Amino acid sequence: MTFLEFVEGPLLWIAFLTFIIGTILRFVLFFAVSVKKDKIVYQYFNIKWIALTILRWLLPINRDILKNPVYTICGYILHFCLILVPIFYSAHVLLWEEGVFEWTWWIMPDVWADWMTLVVIAIIIFFILRRMISADVRILTTATDYIALVVTALPFVTGYFATHGTLGDAISVDTLHLVHVLSGELMLILLPFTKLNHYILFFLSRGVAGIEFGRRGYSI
Amino acid sequence: MSAQAPQEAAKPPINTDAIWEFLKSRRSARLKLWMDACAHCGLCADACHYYLANDKDPEMIPSYKARLLKQAYKKKGKLDEAFLDECYKRAFHECTMCRRCTLFCPFGIDMASMISTLRSMLTSSGRAPKGLAAAIENYLKSGNQMAITEEEWVETVEWMEEELQDEIVGATIPINKKGARIMYTVNAREPKFYPMDLQLAAKIFNVAKEDWTVPTYGWDDTNLAMFAGDTKTARYIVEQTFKAADELGVEYVAITECGHAYRANRWEAEVWLGYKPKQKVIHSVELFAEYIRSGRIKIDPARKLSEPVTYQDPCNVSRSGGLEEDARFLMNALCTDFRDMNPHGNLNFCCGGGGGAMPMGGEMRKDRLKSGKVKADQIKATGAKYLIVPCHNCFDQINDLNKEYDLGIKVIQFKELISEAMIIPEEMIPKEEDEE
Repeated sequence: MTFLEFVEGPLLWIAFLTFIIGTILRFVLFFAVSVKKDKIVYQYFNIKWIALTILRWLLPINRDILKNPVYTICGYILHFCLILVPIFYSAHVLLWEEGVFEWTWWIMPDVWADWMTLVVIAIIIFFILRRMISADVRILTTATDYIALVVTALPFVTGYFATHGTLGDAISVDTLHLVHVLSGELMLILLPFTKLNHYILFFLSRGVAGIEFGRRGYSI
Repeated sequence: MSAQAPQEAAKPPINTDAIWEFLKSRRSARLKLWMDACAHCGLCADACHYYLANDKDPEMIPSYKARLLKQAYKKKGKLDEAFLDECYKRAFHECTMCRRCTLFCPFGIDMASMISTLRSMLTSSGRAPKGLAAAIENYLKSGNQMAITEEEWVETVEWMEEELQDEIVGATIPINKKGARIMYTVNAREPKFYPMDLQLAAKIFNVAKEDWTVPTYGWDDTNLAMFAGDTKTARYIVEQTFKAADELGVEYVAITECGHAYRANRWEAEVWLGYKPKQKVIHSVELFAEYIRSGRIKIDPARKLSEPVTYQDPCNVSRSGGLEEDARFLMNALCTDFRDMNPHGNLNFCCGGGGGAMPMGGEMRKDRLKSGKVKADQIKATGAKYLIVPCHNCFDQINDLNKEYDLGIKVIQFKELISEAMIIPEEMIPKEEDEE
């Protein structure tokens, strides 16, 4: 088995399984501890308050849009693109179709994927600069925040160059392709265990906040 | 930035094992979640009145202050004096646990709970602010923060009853009346410094023909132990109140115009007690709104306050109390020129006197007045001459801000406003028309 075969075969399985099991574990861990230690959450458990607060902050209809419009809107665009591109990019869908499951779904035009990738890269550069320049954000920033940004940027940067071959002879397309797959796998593996875990914690954290203020009769 | 270190003399040695045991005992799923979830985005920065009042000092960002809790866990409780000093400064001097940041956090992280846990940690290692520690001692000794004896309390109640009878024919302040609908509880500062507050409340209850009583113990609804994070004493205090309520068989425990007392009894008591008290806890704002809505208290339109007036939303009445709308109903029922601050309601800014900042006394004064600048500017912008506030801590703080920032306002409570404007039934008005 060549290294590429390993990366595209077993490692891919490991990455996806880590991502899926890690996600489930995160939820299970929260519920296991909270049942004993956070009884108030269950006493006032209320789907309405949970749904309202999650929707308000999942969609750009919250108070931060008015308070910090540039950063907040960039955040929404970033998340929108970085979820959609990997799922609906033509070459990815083709791989799913050729894979063991033979799944297939809607494909986005390649030109969309191109632009959305550039947008992701641009916003991540902006976020990195913001972390370095803004005194407020700099004081809060830890190494994990940079790691999260870089890990997120890598698959998009390598994917873009691998697709367009614009690096010429400096790095071969095959190498780029390998690095691209590796970086995607790295991201999947790290998602549940680094700052990127907010794709899970967002729902839990907003949920408990929704309950805490819902108890008081209003939605936050 | 400007916080003094805690009282130098009284620092007990650090017991890192005890700190770690404490931290472990408090590690709930939510606390862990909040510590992990923060993405360090900085959106909470300008939600904080300390940040705004201190020239946007990055060290005042809520997330920055709350990060200490995560560090304490990371260090497994092996904390040194310098670290505890920083915790003291951040948790007691630079945060009033007003929870405004939570409303702007994309994750809804309850940074106030994290700060509260830091405070608990400090208190459990003998580092509570002097003012709060003294109050805790009083609660344990006498059941109230001012160490008022039962005899003194009963005397004050009887005295106020007599005074009130000059104003309202047949007025009573029933003590320990079994089966009353409402058990009224007060802030211990009232019998100590402002007995008129009790008289005003009694006047409203009598005119509303309320079936009410005051108990002989458990009548202090304040809970300064909550601010110190001393949950054991906090539980003891609310236990006394609900024990009295159970004994008297009342339906409601009514809370005077005090924010944190409402928070403690209405929202936190069941967490500390581990069960839901039998009585419903009702804040004066709710109760007065109910009287006016139902017509039990009628307001004379000619005697409404006509000067420009604004309303201070106490954090524990609005944001953490849910009474934003009842308060506005009262303002509109009692005033003709009501001007809301911007922002207001659940998004109000803390006055700077919350979270124990007032009872912490002298050591906190400088930070308290500085952080109150945001509130002072808000008040100024309304052009109001009066400010209504149903909270003792806000009341004192805004009176201080009034002097410090030359606001030229008069600070009053709803009780005074209602007492002025309500229509007193004919039969309750004393016959001899001697001028006062």
